[in-house]
Formats: sequence, C-alpha cells, structure tokens
Amino acid sequence: MLSMPLPRHLRLLAVTLASGLLALVAIGTASAIQPRGITDEAHKMNDLFWIVLIVALVVFVLVAAALVYALVRYRRKDDELPEQFHGGGKIEVAMVGVPVLIVIALFTISMLTLIEIDDKAPDDALTIEVTGFQFSWQFAYKMSDLGTNSDPNADPDDAISIIGTPQNDPILYLPVDEPVEFLLKSNDVIHSFYVKDFLYKLDLIPGRVNSFTVTPRETGDFSAQCAELCGTNHALMRFVVRVVERDEFDAWVAQEAARQLGEDTLVSSSGKQGD
Amino acid sequence: MATVEVPQLSGYHRPAVLDWITTVDHKKLGILYLYFTLFFFAVGGVLALLVRTQLAVADNSFVGNDLYNQIFTMHASAMLFLFIIPVWAGFGNYLVPLQIGAADMAFPRINALSFWMLPPAGILMFAGFIVDGGAADGGWTAYSPLAQQTGVGMDMWIIAVIVLGMSSTIGAANFLVTMFRMRAPGMTMFRMPIFCWTMLVTALLQLLATPVLAAALVMLFIDRNYGGQFFDPNGGGNVVLWQNVFWFYSHPAVYIMILPGMGIISEILPVFSRKPLFGYKAFVFATIGIGGLGFSVWAHHMFTTGSVLLPFFGFMTFMIGVPTGVKIFNWLGTLWGGSITFPTPMLFAIGFVSMFLIGGINGTFSAAVPVDFALHDTYFVVAHIHYVLFGGSVFAVFGGIYYWFPKIWGRKLNERLGKLHFALMFVGFNVAFFPMHMLGLDGMPRRIAVYAEGAGWEALNMLSTGGAFLIAVSMIPFIIAVVWAFMRPMDQPDDPWEANTLEWATSSPPPEYNFDSLPPVRSERPLFDARQGSGEGH
Repeated sequence: MLSMPLPRHLRLLAVTLASGLLALVAIGTASAIQPRGITDEAHKMNDLFWIVLIVALVVFVLVAAALVYALVRYRRKDDELPEQFHGGGKIEVAMVGVPVLIVIALFTISMLTLIEIDDKAPDDALTIEVTGFQFSWQFAYKMSDLGTNSDPNADPDDAISIIGTPQNDPILYLPVDEPVEFLLKSNDVIHSFYVKDFLYKLDLIPGRVNSFTVTPRETGDFSAQCAELCGTNHALMRFVVRVVERDEFDAWVAQEAARQLGEDTLVSSSGKQGD
Repeated sequence: MATVEVPQLSGYHRPAVLDWITTVDHKKLGILYLYFTLFFFAVGGVLALLVRTQLAVADNSFVGNDLYNQIFTMHASAMLFLFIIPVWAGFGNYLVPLQIGAADMAFPRINALSFWMLPPAGILMFAGFIVDGGAADGGWTAYSPLAQQTGVGMDMWIIAVIVLGMSSTIGAANFLVTMFRMRAPGMTMFRMPIFCWTMLVTALLQLLATPVLAAALVMLFIDRNYGGQFFDPNGGGNVVLWQNVFWFYSHPAVYIMILPGMGIISEILPVFSRKPLFGYKAFVFATIGIGGLGFSVWAHHMFTTGSVLLPFFGFMTFMIGVPTGVKIFNWLGTLWGGSITFPTPMLFAIGFVSMFLIGGINGTFSAAVPVDFALHDTYFVVAHIHYVLFGGSVFAVFGGIYYWFPKIWGRKLNERLGKLHFALMFVGFNVAFFPMHMLGLDGMPRRIAVYAEGAGWEALNMLSTGGAFLIAVSMIPFIIAVVWAFMRPMDQPDDPWEANTLEWATSSPPPEYNFDSLPPVRSERPLFDARQGSGEGH
C-alpha cells in the first residue's frame, strides 16, 4: 500500500503535465479570441487585459510547475518518515509578501486604466439616450444634440428614435472618430448595455441614469446584447452597433428625420427599416 | 419441560426509521446531512445537464425561454443552498465533535432542528415547478425589480431560502459553542484540527451574514406581496439597495462555500505527505483574513451598476487574493519534502489545489475593474465560479467522502473505481468549464437561453456540453463503489490512513458518544504523536 508501481506515477505526471499544457494552449486560444476593441477606451482596457493575463500566466506556470515537481520528486519511495517541517519565519513572510506585491501592482495599473477610460464627452458631442425595455432597445437622438450635425434651432423635443423588437434587432448608428455620450435608462427592470467590441458594459437601472463616453475608431457592424437577466426573452434582446463615416451618419439622420419628424410624429420604427 | 420466560434486559429500541427521525446524535445527523445534500447535488446536476443540452447548439428549442430561466435559477439554488452550504454542515456535524474529542455537539436538539429545517425548505423550493407560473426564475441572485414580476414560485423560493438561512444560523451558533467550550483536555485553539478552524470561521461568517440575507428576503417578500416598495424607485425605493444587501451576504457566502473545503484538503494533504501542514498558524490567520476581508468586497459583483465606489472595492478584492495565495503556499509547502502517496482522497485534494489555483487566478481578471467591465455577466464569470465551487468545493466534498468513508461507514471505497471517478471528473470538469473562459472573452453573456447561429459560440458550447455529460458519467464508478462497499462487511481499523487527528482514535464507525478514552493532546497531531511515542509540542 505504501509503494506503488512507477508507471502509475508516470501516468499521473503525464496527466498533470498534459492538463497544464492544455491550460496554456487554452489561454493562448483565449487571447486569440479576446476582441481588441474598436474604441479608444477599449484599446486601453485591452492593454490592461494583456497585463493581467501575462501576470496570471506567469503565476500559474510557476505554481503549477512547483506542484507537479513536488508530486513527482517527493512521491513515497521508502517507509522513512520525512523531516517534520512546520514552516517558519522568513518563508512565511515571503508567503504574504509576494502576493501583496503582485496585487498592489495589479491594483495600481487597474486604477490608472480606470482613470484613463473615464472620458467626458465635450458638451457639443453627440448624445444618445438608450432605453432598455423588455425585450429590446430604444435609441433616441436629439436633433439639437447630434455633434457636428446639430441643429441649434431645433425644438429640444425633436428627436429621432429607433425602437427594436425581440425579432427585429435595432441598429445603433454611430459616427466614427467622434466621442459619443450614452445616457442609459430603464423603466421596467435592470438591463445591461453590452457591446463586446467596446470591451464594456454598463447597467440600465430604473430610477437612475448611467452614462459613459466612447470614441469608436473602426467602421462596421458589431453585434451586441443585453447582459443582465431581464426576463423571458432576455436572450433575444440584441442590437447592432453600426459605426459609419460622418457623412453617412448625417445622411442617415436626414433620412430618419424626414421620415419621423417630417410627418411631425415620432413613429416607432425598427432599425431595419431605417436602412 | 417447563420453561420460564426470562424478559430480555435491554434498552428501549426504536424502529430504525423512528430512530433516524428522532436522533440527536451528531454522527447520525451528519450522515443525514450528507444523504440530503448529495441528493440535491444529483438534482442540481440533472438541471445542469438540461442547461447544457439547451446550449449545446445555436437557436435550440429543447426547453423554452421561460423554463430555461427556471432551470438555471433552480440549478444554482439547489447547488448553493441545498448542496454546498449544508454539505459542510454535514461534514462539520460528523467531524467537529470527533476531531476535538467531544461526545456530541453542544446543543444536540438544536442540531437536529437545524437539519430538519432543510427537507421542508427543499421541497418548498422545488414545489415551485408545479405551481402556476413555475419555479423561481430570476436567477439565484433574485435581482429586483425582475424578482417582483414572477409568479408565486418566487415567494416559495424566498421562504425556502429564509428557512435554510435560519438553519445555518442556528447551526453556526452550535458549531461555535461546541468548538469554544468542548475541546478535549490539552487541545488549545492552536492545536485544533485545521478543518475545525475552517468550520469556525465559516460559522462566524454565517452568524454575521445570514441574518442580513434574511432581512433582504423579508423586504423582497413585503415588496412583492404587500406593496413595500423597498426596491421600487417609483415608490421612493432603491433598485441597487437589493444588490447591496444581497451581496453583503452572498459574497461572504462564497467563502462559506469554500473554506471548509480548504479545511478538508488541509487534513488530507498532510496525511498522505506524512508531514504536518506547512504553516499551520499562517493558514489559520489566512482563513480569518479571508473571513474578514470577505465582508468588504461584496460590491465587486456590482462594478457595472455605476453606483459603486470602484477603487475601494477593487482594492479589497485584490487584497483577498493575498490570504488565498498564502493557502496555496501552505499546500505546496506541505507537499514539499514529503513522502507522498496517491490514494483517491489525495487525488481529489491535488485536483482541488490545481483547479482552485485556476479559480483564484481567473478571479483577478474581474478584480481589475476595467477588465471586469468587459467580463462581468459573461461566461468568463461562470467559468470562474465553477473553478472555485466545483473545481474547489466539489472536489473537496468527494475527497472528504473517500477519506472519511472508512470512519463513517467502517468500509473502504474501492480504490480503482475511486481513481476512475477522479480521472473522469477531472477531465470532464475541465472540458466543461475551461471553454467558458473563451466564450466569455468572446462576449457570450450568461443566463441566455439561446444564442444566434453565426455568433461563433457553437463549437465551444458543444465541447462544454460534452464535458458536462462526462462529469455525469464520472458518478457511475462512484455509485458502484458506494454500493459495493455497503455490500461488504465493516472491516476498517480505527486508523486506516495513518492519520493525525482524534477522529481516528476511536473505532470505525465510532460508538455513541464517540470515545472510551482519549490520547493526550500535545500538538495539532495527537495521533501522529501517539504513533511516534512522543508529544512534540507545538
């Protein structure tokens, strides 16, 4: 019972090494999957992700290697009692000191990134009011608050509005290379505005307005969806972020304004019709 | 020939069923806890398989969106409230009095009450499936206002969780008094077995945190049924208040769910390394540290609400990595220089260390607040909690079962079957949960019933589902091993593993009231001292 045939140990070693290798390969795959992000803010968060990932990987490999080594090196070979070592001063100080240094470093870097991404949009930047509801989204653009295309004489109540349904994902138009401020609201339950390629989400909370600012740097369509459980069709609460050049954005606004405001009514329309 | 009937002089024997129902013996109650919790582990496991079946392919219609929400809510509720939290009460009940050399718990009748509150609560919670509107479906987190919208199943869930909370609160008081007042002569606090220390800190957390959850649940119940508006902004309430009070309990609860598991493997690793636990006092202080810091990190579940003091909670969340890191060093240092064998309990303990290592490291991603903005509420977080609570806690549960089975039932579980069980579960676990990291990075939110074809999540989800079924398959050798063991006679000596702590100083299984005599306690390893013929003092 005390000594076991060698092959079993080799098998154990193989299994452990293989799982360590598997983890490494998988983390590598994960980093291939990790979106780089399409906004200035996302790029900074992506940098932070890589720092955390590398630190995590180093810690994992060191500890896992020590674990595997100990299991192989100190497997029972004879019936002799090993030295009864209880631990002691210096090594226990190191046990605390090393993790403290690591976490303080990571915390500091995280906070620096947090300060960097906490952007405030200039007053004249495009502001979009996002309202989440069970189970889709409304995106409202005030004509007086469209960034460079704003109409200073517009009625403050004049707005174009995109409303989706669970079956028809609304499209959120954004101009590229401009800061955009989002105001997030909800009137029913909590939702969460999550755009994978922003590397960011923020909750829509009844009784409260949350806001954030990003500057998209890439054009294209990016899928997004609600990230906070909100009821039966939570999974269908999807939308598309469409980042376009400014002139294309202006054309879209003009078309929507003509359709929605020209008839002097805020007709509900889905993004698909707004194409 | 005339005979005289001589009445048998014997005690009053209750029928077996009545005996189990009325028992106040900590060992029988411990066994009842184990049966009860393993039953709900199976129930929660079946629900998990339904979840994984639904998510195996894109746009699946295996279960509807409504039922899906009920299934994952009840999966988590069963696993957390009816399995992991009470399973430690089961191990604690059986082991704490034995490990400290006591005859029973301090309050045996209250102990029985603690257990017998569980079955009605479990039945009530699951009866939600047969009422109008179905079982609770707002997630185990029951975020308001969503939790205000659902049917009567939600009220049943609330009451059940309150009852379960009362059970664990009075159980905690019982454990604390037992450990403070009933230790054997010579057993100072710093000679107490490490499993007892983790139960002690767990009991403190339960005593301090669970009443907060009960208060929150009562408020939610009033909101739902009597127009309380605690969490309704239209009535002057605050939506985020629910999250604050819920997580004030539920983050310490994560440590309630893992600390005793750490205690179990800290009993197993020294025995099969033939060394004392490396840094016993550091381990104790790290456990207390985790308990204390555990009360200051709750809002890291709420970074994306926009109403949290981010630097404070980010910092505290990183800091809790320190005592956790200390424990990894404890375990490595215990193995280092040892004389290690690999019976099944040891395999599960090593499985725990390696998986908990990943579960600790992937938690730091969410502590880095800006990274959490991306990862929060995605499958990355699902991966994290399962590496902690399955790779950690569940591996410890099975390690503990294989380790103490000879003590509790007087028989040993078959080693070959045990190793097969471990191998299948270890591989199945990683196949099921590792891909979730990638799914999370790739933006798959948690708690969605369907995902669109072309989202790019199909392959990893299929892989994960395969792993989940492999975990289910791993239970087959375990069940065979248990049945096989029960078919054999009780043949286990007092101390089959050459262990260290007092429970191995009595027969297997122990008699009522546990001990005829106790060995002297002069260190945290009285049985080691007895074998070596010396008390080494520590």
